[in-house]
Amino acid sequence: MKKWIKVSLIFAFLLFSLAGMAQQQRFPKPEFGTGYSQPTPITPEPRALALEYTDVVILLIVLSMASYFAIRKRSRKGLLWLSVFTLLYFGFYRDGCICSIGSIQNVALTLFDPGYAISITTLLFFLIPLVFTLYFGRTFCAGACPLGAMQDLLIVKPISLPEWLRKTLGIIPYLYLSLAVLFAATGTDFIICRYDPFVGIFRMDAEFHMVVLGIAFILMGMFVARPYCRFLCPYGVLLNWMSRFSKWHLTITPAACIQCKLCSDSCPFDAIDYPTDEKQSKNRTWGVNRFLVYALLIPLWIFIGGFAGSKAHTWISKANPTVYLAELLITKPDVRNDLKNLDVQAYLSSGKSMETLVKEATVIRRKFYTGGWIAGGFMGLVIGMTILRQVVYRKRTDYQPHKGNCYSCGRCMGYCPVKK
Amino acid sequence: MEQDNKLKFSLNIALVSGIFCITVALLLLLNFMQMAKNKPLESKALTSLVKRLSQEPNSDELKVEIRNFDLLARKAYFNSQWQVKTGGYLLLFGAIVFALSLRVFIGLKAKIGEPDVKDENDLTGRIMTQRWVMITGSVLIVLGLGASFASVDHLQKYDVNESLAEAKPADDQDKVEVIKVGENPQIVQPATTDSTKNGIPANATKTDTSKVAPVTAVKITIPGINAIKANVPGFRGPFGNGVYFQKNTPVEWDAVSGKNVIWKTPVPKKGYNSPVIWGNKVFLSGADNQSREVYCFDRSSGKILWKQLVDKIQGSPATPPKVTEDTGFAAPSLTTDGNRVYAMFADGDIICFDMDGNRVWARNLGLPDNHYGHASSLIMWKDKVFIQYDTNKSRKLMALNATTGETTWETVRKGKISWASPILADINGKYQVVLSTDPMVAGYDPETGKELWSVDCMSGEVGPSPASSGGMVFAVNEYAKLVGIDPSKNAKVWESDEFLAEVASPVAANGFLFVATSYGVLACYDAKSGEKYWSKEEGPGYYSSPVIADNKVYTFDTSGKMRVFDLGKEAKIIGEGNAGEKVTTTPAFVDNRMYLRTPKFLYCIGKK
Repeated sequence: MKKWIKVSLIFAFLLFSLAGMAQQQRFPKPEFGTGYSQPTPITPEPRALALEYTDVVILLIVLSMASYFAIRKRSRKGLLWLSVFTLLYFGFYRDGCICSIGSIQNVALTLFDPGYAISITTLLFFLIPLVFTLYFGRTFCAGACPLGAMQDLLIVKPISLPEWLRKTLGIIPYLYLSLAVLFAATGTDFIICRYDPFVGIFRMDAEFHMVVLGIAFILMGMFVARPYCRFLCPYGVLLNWMSRFSKWHLTITPAACIQCKLCSDSCPFDAIDYPTDEKQSKNRTWGVNRFLVYALLIPLWIFIGGFAGSKAHTWISKANPTVYLAELLITKPDVRNDLKNLDVQAYLSSGKSMETLVKEATVIRRKFYTGGWIAGGFMGLVIGMTILRQVVYRKRTDYQPHKGNCYSCGRCMGYCPVKK
Repeated sequence: MEQDNKLKFSLNIALVSGIFCITVALLLLLNFMQMAKNKPLESKALTSLVKRLSQEPNSDELKVEIRNFDLLARKAYFNSQWQVKTGGYLLLFGAIVFALSLRVFIGLKAKIGEPDVKDENDLTGRIMTQRWVMITGSVLIVLGLGASFASVDHLQKYDVNESLAEAKPADDQDKVEVIKVGENPQIVQPATTDSTKNGIPANATKTDTSKVAPVTAVKITIPGINAIKANVPGFRGPFGNGVYFQKNTPVEWDAVSGKNVIWKTPVPKKGYNSPVIWGNKVFLSGADNQSREVYCFDRSSGKILWKQLVDKIQGSPATPPKVTEDTGFAAPSLTTDGNRVYAMFADGDIICFDMDGNRVWARNLGLPDNHYGHASSLIMWKDKVFIQYDTNKSRKLMALNATTGETTWETVRKGKISWASPILADINGKYQVVLSTDPMVAGYDPETGKELWSVDCMSGEVGPSPASSGGMVFAVNEYAKLVGIDPSKNAKVWESDEFLAEVASPVAANGFLFVATSYGVLACYDAKSGEKYWSKEEGPGYYSSPVIADNKVYTFDTSGKMRVFDLGKEAKIIGEGNAGEKVTTTPAFVDNRMYLRTPKFLYCIGKK
């Protein structure tokens, strides 16, 4: 038996050695002895398919462990170390890419551009966290998101924000989501990636304004916990929706709440719902009347939002490089002589006629018009629903995490004196 | 460690790391500003040194100083970059230590206090939320509507003609692109007399070269057959067949001794295109990776009458395409109808000048994806300029309106990329545009572009153009075949694979067909049957296409040696010449004279 094991090991060793040799270049690269190494134009560099699938497997493992620590084990420490691993692996090692947040754009582009095919890895990075959230709440935010991990680890003295401010700022992620989908669907840009404030830190390389933005978020995050997750993250919108329907969700207490209120200040994200006050919820007439009015106003919000979005399409579409170039050449024809303008020179060298360029730009602008209606209507719906929710009273008797907003970080669990 | 000590320790670490972070951040900022301000290659000192060098070009000391300064500036730049990178890591490390120590300090100091008495259902809070969300929504709507007023849709207002008219050139250029063309060009046809005997055609348009001058209502004379035969309207003479209708053509000359050299004029830029002649004017083009030019020489004196830069063409690539050394940027020969001259270059630019060098129109057909470089020459018939526009991506025959440059028709063809040029073949009394490519030789209707016949017989990278004589078409390519085709039967009549040309095109007249190979054999065949009459190996090889004039076959091998053979069933050399340098172009004949382009000169050869 031992002999067989030895033979198998030798065989495996030879196999790996051969595989390694086979991957070596037939002719070695010339060595000029300057010590200069060619920088790669792509960050991060493309990986072998097997390694991409490894990332998916690691995501699955991390999500499973995060869900286990949050719901079953109830271990804040476990989640903390898991987020450290995520930060190191998905953040610094993988340079912040591939990322579930950015994958929204790939999905949007593949839905609207038949010429673009999303990779299976990207699709899985988009879907897996959503599926996990549907079952276990936002455990992705707790332990599998490098952006969330970085902010979470740097919370120093969080302050509580008033509800009106949280709700108002909470509209921004919806707006960001709308614009990100619109820009991706029209093939304009991947703005989530372009304006990711942390990716420059992961890669130790970014434009100056992005460095400033990243540092600003970190400094702000020391006192306003997870500012990006709460007031910007577009993927958080989808996770919020999924988490509201989650089958199992983190609970503050493992048994019955004893109303000790010790956990009331434990959440740095203001994601704990308090028991309802019976006295106030009794004033139902005010609530019902307002509910009816606000509910009836929702279609109006949608229409006005869509109208405003469609009206803004001309301005927004200027972000598209084709539209921008076409308008630049129309308004400033002399720019053709500007050899330093690489966009113009690249267009001129492509041999494409001005008419074709304008036609292409017009098609894109038309897409922005339709997209403007949809994005604006969606924002109108979000605003109308947010207002409507202010007159909806749900009866709560215990302190419990808000299923949509809770990041399942597990901080509150340590505050609860109730043990199983 | 006791609680107090832990507190002190964490606070001290936080303080030290905080100060460290601030220091590193300030240094980084300083470094960044310095890097942004001082770009190594834009250094004033370096610029002034380079300026000095232009005044003292032979100063080795100055060159060494510039090199040292350049190296120093680059070192400083990369050193700064290294500092930024290292500083970034230090700052990150410091920030992590600072945040963690501060977190430990605050964690140790924190106590679980009295829980706040908060009320989620606070009515005031809800009303505040409603108000602020409404305000936010309203602001977004106002911004959206405001954006519609603040932005102008320039695409809707775009007008093609207006835009082109506005595209004025830079002030430092005295020549202008004229793309806007006349709406009602008057075409007089057919003129069967030679309208160019006195040199410049009377109806040639003269325009002010310093102004944007749209050409309007230009009177164009379509040359008749006699005029075409009297001139050299394109590559390989009238109809592109390599047969010249001239008498008393010279058979002896020597560039070294100057024997029978009437004049020779240096050609400013390199090009593999052959002389094109109309009236008293000889046209050539030249180009390198910096610029492209079209030249007009006086046929009598060799003096350059005009030289025009080809630039500012809409869609023209900013950087030249990659071409091989033996193709260059100006391989296609020009074409002319006596009214205007048309030139094409490797970057897909095609340009039209009138006979006096005034630019009429120009356009870019798209950068040709061609691994050697675009080489197919232009040819004209009536009011159309034909282009065999073969690229690795697509193969097509284009017909441009000679007056406006607009595409009259284009025919997408099957097959592979070819470097051959189109010819005009008289098939049953009607001229057809004939092309040779892998896998077929085909004829097209010059009026519509419709494919009239096609015979699959070619293979490989086809360089030689086809030839036509006596209602038959001949095509050849190395590693393929030499074939005789009867277009009226849409069939191959005969084929041979003994002597195959790689570059030089075949030529046929009086029932004879000649093929010149790149390994130095000139072979003569019976054009009708394909029977070989003779073959003769002389010289290093032929790139220049053999041509027929005055019942003589003119050949130039790559060493520049000219051999003139008798047009007959026996290999008989009746004349010799020597260019003294490499010859790959094809000579042109007008009025007892031969015109030849060598890498450096344009020669006029004949009896003085």
